[in-house]
Amino acid sequence: MTRLLKVSLLGVAFAGLLIGATAHEFVPGSAASSEGQTPADLNLAIVVNVSNPADKLSTGELRRIFLGERGNWPNGRRITIVMMEPGQPERASILREICQMTETQFNNHFLHGVFTGQLLVSPKTLATPAGVRKFIFNVPGAIGYLRASDVDSTVKVLRIDERAPSDKGYPLHVPPRPSK
Amino acid sequence: MSPRNQPIAPHTKGLSTAISTSGRASSLLSRHSSSLLLFFVFLVVVVVGIFVSRDLRSADAEAQKMYAGSVLGMRRIGNMEYEAQETRRSTFYALSTKDSNLQVKYADQSREADALVTAGISEYLREERTPVELRVGTRLQQSWYAYLQVRDEVLASILEGSIQEAVDRDLKSGVPLFDRVREDLEEINRLYDEQAFQRLANVAATSRRTMLRLAGILGTTLVLAFVSVWAIQTSRVQAALQLAKLQMEFVASVSHELRTPLAVISSAADNIADGLIEGREDQQKYGRAIQNQSHQMAELVNQILLFAAANDRKIPYVLRVLRVSELVDAVLLSTADRVKHSGFTLDLEVAPDLPSVMGDLSALTQCLQNLVGNALKYSGSSRWIAITVSTARSGHGGPMEILIAVQDRGIGIARSELPRVFDPFYRSATVISEQIHGTGLGLSVSKGIAESMGGRLTVASELGVGSTFTLHLPVASPDNLPPQVVDSPSGVRAQQ
Repeated sequence: MTRLLKVSLLGVAFAGLLIGATAHEFVPGSAASSEGQTPADLNLAIVVNVSNPADKLSTGELRRIFLGERGNWPNGRRITIVMMEPGQPERASILREICQMTETQFNNHFLHGVFTGQLLVSPKTLATPAGVRKFIFNVPGAIGYLRASDVDSTVKVLRIDERAPSDKGYPLHVPPRPSK
Repeated sequence: MSPRNQPIAPHTKGLSTAISTSGRASSLLSRHSSSLLLFFVFLVVVVVGIFVSRDLRSADAEAQKMYAGSVLGMRRIGNMEYEAQETRRSTFYALSTKDSNLQVKYADQSREADALVTAGISEYLREERTPVELRVGTRLQQSWYAYLQVRDEVLASILEGSIQEAVDRDLKSGVPLFDRVREDLEEINRLYDEQAFQRLANVAATSRRTMLRLAGILGTTLVLAFVSVWAIQTSRVQAALQLAKLQMEFVASVSHELRTPLAVISSAADNIADGLIEGREDQQKYGRAIQNQSHQMAELVNQILLFAAANDRKIPYVLRVLRVSELVDAVLLSTADRVKHSGFTLDLEVAPDLPSVMGDLSALTQCLQNLVGNALKYSGSSRWIAITVSTARSGHGGPMEILIAVQDRGIGIARSELPRVFDPFYRSATVISEQIHGTGLGLSVSKGIAESMGGRLTVASELGVGSTFTLHLPVASPDNLPPQVVDSPSGVRAQQ
């Protein structure tokens, strides 16, 4: 009897843990109402310098750029990749959805590329969305990402696969910011 | 009215009035010359004070302009120089690190500093400038924008991680452009410096001018004040000397006036005492002589006492409503004997229905008696005097007055002497030379009486033609009737 009770309690506790883990898992478009953020704020905008003539990119082009496989813009400007620091949900989204790599794989990719001379420049790492904005504002060939809610007029937002961040079916999403 | 009864002809009267007026003016001028001088000093001080005040305002405005324009301008240029250096310095800081976060921070600092310089240049160009200043300002603006363009490229290279490229670009274009900016800022500073120097020179010139004017005003004031004091002192000394001279003459005259009747009385008394007088006729003759001389002496003494009392304001005048005929009768009665014994013809003309006057009968009688006495004394051989009583308005449309004029056809008074005939002790040179006896107090006393009664005494005269002294008395009316007997400050007592 006692043993049965212990097994039952363990089962309840495990079920509870499972429920808890499921509750924190990010489902695009589903967490908006629970965190008080709009769906657009949960979309990840790809931003470039306002002087950049490019207006749109495909997901494939974006992947090549973020992996350093494409070095220049059509106007000849050198591409500078701007990433946020590891551990940031925005970076995790880009790695997962664009680069389709883990953090380790991404780092190894650039270490290997620079070491072999296949890649000339590694990504610039910035701590905050404001830092990303300012970097892109200062560097004409820079490209980075920001939550749609962090975008302002100092940077230019690109359409990805013909969709703007506010459009339905926009491919890049970011989990809500962890509450403080 | 016979021609003899007529007063002085109108044209003669006009001339005499004009003479009287000009004489009065010259008298006033001489009497108040020191006051005029002091007034002139005051005017000079005020005028120079206005100039000095204007100079001070001008210097103040120039100093404020210098501060607002040059000093603040130089300070602003200093700040701009600092911020321009800061723009460049922050760019170099970005070169010194590989941390993108720090590089972005330095880029921000550089942009904040360049915004201040850009705003400073725009403000400089917005203000009112000379063509040279505008040219230098515009050149600075162009140099600065060109430098910022290079700075942006340098910053971009640094952030991209192309350090060598950033350094090459800065050395090739950034350094020369920044040197141009610095030179332009120094040029503007130099212009401000020149402007400040010019304004300082203006302030110094204004200060020198003010100092000179102040020295001028002080010098002028001192000189004029010295002259004024000297004039006042001289005038006082002269007045004192004149008074002393008049008093000496008065003493001599009075002594003479007293000695003559005393000699007659003494001689008559001696003759009587020695038994030289025989018969009733001689006795009467000597008695009348003694009587006449005694009266003359008494009159003289009275005159002197009256003047002294009037001067001390000790005469209590009793004012009351008087009929003019009452006054004229009193005067005629008191002077009848003298007129008769002197062999004079006295023409009297009194206008009908004359209103009453307000005054002291005894004093007014004394006043007119003096005028008649003078007319008798100075008539020469004409042996004619006239008393005319009429009414007229005082001035233009003033109150009604009674005019009692005593006219003679005697020696008259010179134009130059008219202003002084009412001065106490004054006797004209002509009178003295013709040995006509007198004290010089009669007219002064009469004038004092006339003024105490609220009236005045005027004279119109022409040398060799005759004189007319006119007593002006205000007509008694309910307005000037005193309500009760009072002692006025001048010793006038009123009685209704």
